[in-house]
Amino acid sequence: MTETDHDRYSEDIAAYMLGALGPERAEALELHAEGCERCRAQLRWLTPAVQAISEGVERVEPSPRLRARLLAEVEADAPATATEPRRARFRLPALRPALGFAALLLVAAAVLGYALGGGSEEGGGTRTIVTGKAPGVTAKMVSEGEAGTLRLDNVDQLPDGKVLEAWVRRDGEVEPVRALFVPDHEGRASTQLPSMDGVEVVMVTAEPKGGSEAPTGEPLITIPVPQ
Amino acid sequence: MTVRREKAERLADEELMPLIGEKDPEAFEVFYDRHGGVAYSLAYRIVGERAAAEDVTQEAFISIWRSGARFDRARGSVRSWTLSIVRNRAIDALRSRAGKAPKLTFDDDAVLEQRPAEELTEEEAMRRETAGEVRGALGELPGEQAKVIELAYFGGFSQSEIARMLGVPLGTVKGRMRLGLEKIRGELAEGLA
Repeated sequence: MTETDHDRYSEDIAAYMLGALGPERAEALELHAEGCERCRAQLRWLTPAVQAISEGVERVEPSPRLRARLLAEVEADAPATATEPRRARFRLPALRPALGFAALLLVAAAVLGYALGGGSEEGGGTRTIVTGKAPGVTAKMVSEGEAGTLRLDNVDQLPDGKVLEAWVRRDGEVEPVRALFVPDHEGRASTQLPSMDGVEVVMVTAEPKGGSEAPTGEPLITIPVPQ
Repeated sequence: MTVRREKAERLADEELMPLIGEKDPEAFEVFYDRHGGVAYSLAYRIVGERAAAEDVTQEAFISIWRSGARFDRARGSVRSWTLSIVRNRAIDALRSRAGKAPKLTFDDDAVLEQRPAEELTEEEAMRRETAGEVRGALGELPGEQAKVIELAYFGGFSQSEIARMLGVPLGTVKGRMRLGLEKIRGELAEGLA
């Protein structure tokens, strides 16, 4: 490393810390700093200045709803404690009376949506399924390898004490996914599905905080997964 | 208040992070109560709307919840790390809303190619500077230094864009950023002396 190299990177440090450096130059600076104690020292020295800029903004209080939403999502996502009942698998027939005819219509609509081009195989093991019709709830599910990501739009705000819970059906058995989530202000909600292996259908219902062992209401959306 | 919450409140931020990495909701609650206010204020300063600021804050804190173990104390305090995550999310939201620059592909030259030069006006820059007054640390700086820092940090503009919109050489923008940050840092150091 020459002195000129150091000077060139050193000139970029302020822009880097303010997020004003393009990604390539930022990466080059990071690489350089790994071997340059003077640059590392400068980065450390200036860090409190950037924090002071953040701290200097006018304080605006977030609504208590934000805190409630965050903590609900976090609690829903936390590992089950010893005091929580173990979740049981159950057979789909037990679900049917609760789902009713409307759910069957949703399944049919979802299948139709897929058949009309909502699903696609993109190669590399990635598959996208789109279903639902705005202004109702719409879903986009992307599976890559074994895992999947489910994104919902147009979800109404949930009543207090309610969260969204995702379910999957394998071999006719519906089981909960350890994925409780809540919609944001614009009605968007997303969650991860750790394993799509053998999944025939994905559903989402509104459940009491903490989730349920079995769906307690009709699904907001049902997404058939073509095998 | 639960015993676990009381215990978490006694911990330093750096001690909370491993607990959050282990998905401890009480640790996260304490963490949010310590930093949620300033994080939301920063998001609001950047995106200029309450609902969008709440979404940004929520996304940032959930990403921390899911990756709390990735905090590296060698790269600064928990608070500065958190605020940098919030800032980046807010800038992403700002760009996404403007429909101009794609997320995570922001690059000086690429952006200039995507956006007509006439868009890069000071007027647009000032529109992005939502709330009028320059406050806090920036308030002590000469105007031209405060402006380039505001445009970069709160507006999400690259140094090249700022040079273009202000009609000054890139080197001038670099220099103003450096001098501005060093002045703020110097004053912080004096305050501690």
